[in-house]
Amino acid sequence: MSASNDKPRIGEELGKMHAEPLLPIEKKLIAWSLILGIVLLVVLIWTGNASMPFGKG
Amino acid sequence: MAQHASTEDRSVPAPRTRGWSEDWLAVVAGAAVFVLALGLLFGSNLLGWVTGPRTWLEIGKSVRPVSSAYAQVDALLLLLVTYAFVLALMTAAAALLGMSIPKFIAGFTLLYWLSYLSWVLGNYAYIAVTTPAEMQRLGLGWSLRLTGEFGYVLALLIGLAIANLLPTAARWLAEAARAELFIKTAIVILGGTVGVKAAEQLGLASSIMWRGLAAIIEAYLIYWAVVYFVARKWFGFSREWAAPLASGISICGVSAAIATAGAIRARPIVAVMVSSLVVVFAMVELLILPFAARSFLGEEPLVAAAWMGLAVKTDGAAVASGAITEALLYGDAAARGVKYSAGWLVGTTTTIKIFIDIFIGVWAFILAYVWTRHIEPRRPGDSLRIGEIWERFPKFVLGFAATFLIVLVIGLGSSADSLRTVNAAMDQANVLRQLFFVLTFFSIGLQSDLRLLWQEGIARLAAVYVVSLFGFVIWVGLLISWLFFSGIKPPIAG
Repeated sequence: MSASNDKPRIGEELGKMHAEPLLPIEKKLIAWSLILGIVLLVVLIWTGNASMPFGKG
Repeated sequence: MAQHASTEDRSVPAPRTRGWSEDWLAVVAGAAVFVLALGLLFGSNLLGWVTGPRTWLEIGKSVRPVSSAYAQVDALLLLLVTYAFVLALMTAAAALLGMSIPKFIAGFTLLYWLSYLSWVLGNYAYIAVTTPAEMQRLGLGWSLRLTGEFGYVLALLIGLAIANLLPTAARWLAEAARAELFIKTAIVILGGTVGVKAAEQLGLASSIMWRGLAAIIEAYLIYWAVVYFVARKWFGFSREWAAPLASGISICGVSAAIATAGAIRARPIVAVMVSSLVVVFAMVELLILPFAARSFLGEEPLVAAAWMGLAVKTDGAAVASGAITEALLYGDAAARGVKYSAGWLVGTTTTIKIFIDIFIGVWAFILAYVWTRHIEPRRPGDSLRIGEIWERFPKFVLGFAATFLIVLVIGLGSSADSLRTVNAAMDQANVLRQLFFVLTFFSIGLQSDLRLLWQEGIARLAAVYVVSLFGFVIWVGLLISWLFFSGIKPPIAG
């Protein structure tokens, strides 16, 4: 559990971080992931309840 | 998924030597237990000597063999045989992983007996008894009604105390505290138990699997995107930090963080730091969420089980929290006179966790594709390979699938009598599964170095974790679990 001497310091590592604005591709990744998630949510709940009612009740 | 803590050596993936990984060793160890248990189908009681605790008032009567055929044998001798069997399995694994055998045996022995003692203490009648009938039978005026699984929590707390108060002892035990190996072995064994449940209630089991798969697709798509956005936009993290952090918080802890860091070519320190936080917070979740589920999901046990799988990070902590949740909710139900069939909640949590594990490789591949094509194109010759999905595939899942399918096929083709024998065989294996659980709990505690939270600079990283986990992931996980599992009940026992 003890720290070794050459253990990286997280404060230093985070301090080295540069500001990086969100790229359009990152925005797309986030947006498509959420849109797909919400659409699939509706589809999966509907198909699940329609085809697999076991255990309900 | 993986369970190595601290910013030091235990945060890196398990050592791989001679082609063996902890995943494959867990498959072999779990399969060995499974095959011995199946001996019962051929009239050979090969595992009946395995000894576990039972509810007790006198310490001399606190343990017994799983099979009544061994009831006349001295319990102390059987305790030692059980220890020797588990020691042999794990020492063989340690040898194949290239560990120091004497050091492993010494550490494992202490870890084993402290864990076992916790397990026995958790079954003390005044702690464990849940039903009025049982209290009357034992002549108890009161009970904490925490169930025998309180022994798991006790093991966790003892491990945690050693890790944070006795660092020298913790270092000495660290080699033997292989939480990942223990839980994966337990999961391979659990495959057989889930197979029996599926054979008994095929429709319900299929429904749970389908809903579990649907729930994790949702979790991946919604969790990751939001946590990545929070880390990038609100906390100003770079892409190198935000992607592994999002995977660690939202998907499955250490393995997801490591796989993502690899996929986007982040420096190893990023995965190490994120993994360290994952382990600490998984332990916190393990101590809080099952009890939270008890307070408001008593009528929806499968929602609670799915919630543990979706919210608690790392395999060990998630499956362990499923076990605690089952014990607490089943205990409360029993007190109300409802006796659910055992194993359905921990089976549901495990199934969800396994689906999550399976998809880590796929998700890492998608991220690698986005990064290499659009963010940081790779050099010529350093192209993305589809084989990377297989390389990141958690191989112990194959063990779970194999034990599950073998028992399912046997069970579906069996008469009611034969199915009872299969059930008895899996009950024998189940005692060892519980033993591996308690070893996992102890190891998780031992690997949770809370002093990490006092490191300079950790606050910013921890803040993303706290905001995302407690402000979003846990509640969305609960919502998804509710949407897919509400109204579904485990079968009634008997």
